Amino acid sequence: MKLPASLYSRRAFLNGLIGGWLAALGAAFISPFVKYIVPPTREPDQVSVPLADYQDMAPHTVKGFAWGNKPGFLKRSEAGDYVAFVGVCTHLDCNITFIAEQRRFFCACHEGWYDEDGLNVAGPPPAPLRRLAVSVEGDALIVKRPG
Amino acid sequence: MSSLRAWIEDRLGLRPVAAFLAKKEVPCHTHTFLYYTGSSVLLFLGIQIVTGVLLALYYQPTLAEANASVVRIITEMPLGWLVRSVHSWSATFMIAAVFVHLLGIAFTKAYRKPREATWLSGVLLLACSLAFGFTGYLLPWDELSLAATKVGTNLPKALPLVGTFLTQVLRAGEDVTGDTLSRFFIMHVSVLPLALLAILGLHVFLVQRHGMSVPLDAERDKLELPAIPFWPNFFFREAAVWLVLLGVLLTIAVFAAPGLGPQADLMAPAPEGIKPEWYFLFMFQTLKLFPARILGLNGELVAVLIMMAGMAAVLLVPFIDNRPFERKGKVVTALAWAGLAYAVGMSIWSLL
Amino acid sequence: MNGRRRVIAAAAIFVLGALVAAGLLEARVQAPAQASVKPAAAAPGQEKPAAVRPARERMAVYVVLAWVWLSIAVLLGFLRMRIREADRVHRMGLVRAAERSLKGPGL
Repeated sequence: MKLPASLYSRRAFLNGLIGGWLAALGAAFISPFVKYIVPPTREPDQVSVPLADYQDMAPHTVKGFAWGNKPGFLKRSEAGDYVAFVGVCTHLDCNITFIAEQRRFFCACHEGWYDEDGLNVAGPPPAPLRRLAVSVEGDALIVKRPG
Repeated sequence: MSSLRAWIEDRLGLRPVAAFLAKKEVPCHTHTFLYYTGSSVLLFLGIQIVTGVLLALYYQPTLAEANASVVRIITEMPLGWLVRSVHSWSATFMIAAVFVHLLGIAFTKAYRKPREATWLSGVLLLACSLAFGFTGYLLPWDELSLAATKVGTNLPKALPLVGTFLTQVLRAGEDVTGDTLSRFFIMHVSVLPLALLAILGLHVFLVQRHGMSVPLDAERDKLELPAIPFWPNFFFREAAVWLVLLGVLLTIAVFAAPGLGPQADLMAPAPEGIKPEWYFLFMFQTLKLFPARILGLNGELVAVLIMMAGMAAVLLVPFIDNRPFERKGKVVTALAWAGLAYAVGMSIWSLL
Repeated sequence: MNGRRRVIAAAAIFVLGALVAAGLLEARVQAPAQASVKPAAAAPGQEKPAAVRPARERMAVYVVLAWVWLSIAVLLGFLRMRIREADRVHRMGLVRAAERSLKGPGL
């Protein structure tokens, strides 16, 4: 089917070609730099802490450790083994603290409360604290991401 | 789309600007290629700003962290080495383009009336570019950059009265320290960019105001040179030049990425073979040649004074060469060639 | 003109092919030996060269560089066409004629 007149002027067609290819070149060029701008700050796969520091903990007490860039909490249970939580409030990411007398975790930002098993009991937090898997290996406590 | 354009036009009223740009013409003659030099500088400046911001996302301008943060950028951040390589090479390309632009203007005497102010602002822009190079060189805080900065900031001391004070201002004290690094950093990313953009605005405005200058014989013989419209004819030619320059820059940046020396140690002796960036080599060599004392005066002082006289001559050449069409003009041209030969010769000698 | 174009096209394909081939060879050599980023060993007092990058990243950079040059060649072709069109229109004097007609007859 031959058209009586062209849809685009030669000028517009060439402008479109130039602009289009330039855009493709630009996109191909810029996309790797997006990774530069947003580098991956992943949490560690596992963290090892010396068992000696945590051996003498009484049951229902909590001690901190470093989980990558975040605070972690190790709790000694009644049976003597350990439970690990990520010490970050599930509401808006503030760092939480453990109130020993109440055996509860407290987030000062919006007064959120978690019980000693990490369950959210009062205030705005929508979910329980994230748990991590703990195992004893030799003279170290290995804290891993669950699953 | 056209209603959006109408909305903007009602509020900004830029139709006279658009009309001016639509009518802008570029004369055609054997030296028309020199018209590409100015926009090439602009291209590299844009690249510097973008890559500079990217580097500043991870660079830490403190004595303890500067070198380590650069190491982190080039080893850990994805394509960080390429960002740094492009920034480093584009700095060289930009200053080279500034020199080519300056030489093109100088040898066609485009600084003659009425473009003297354009030349003055241009020389100020050259000073800004060199200052960018000097301040940026210290930021990786490795042995070589510390040594180069010590030498460079020592130069003003030769001047009487104000010398010591100037050096102390540059160094934030007697010696090059972490304070010097902070100072150079804020100059490099804030003070110099603001100054450069302000002077550049004036420079570009003046260029548009006076239009493109024509070669001497065309003006003298009152020739009517053919001209092509800036948009779209000249602009698309310029775009082609930009594309090739970008390709060359990227290729060199990929295959010749710069490394990083060991972290600067304020107590260590100067490393061997220190030299400044290539655009300062001729000054460096000139200083090395001067004996300690000349005619009873401090040799370094004489050298610094001569260099300052040279810089003043470059700044004031439109006023020195006030009769470009006559014999005086030819004398100035010969002196300019001599100056260029001196700078190139000294630079090459310093590398041998 | 045709012969010269063929030579230029052949040279371009050769250079691009060399870039891509270099990238592939690099990957084949580096991949078994290298699992992650290794900063290059630096002799004391000597300048540390830019870190050895993982093979995949280097090949990706070479491929992108080849694509960049190919795109530049294509874009230069398009630009040449566009410039010829613009020069043709300028020589025809269409814009000047339009301005003249806007000003009205007799001018």
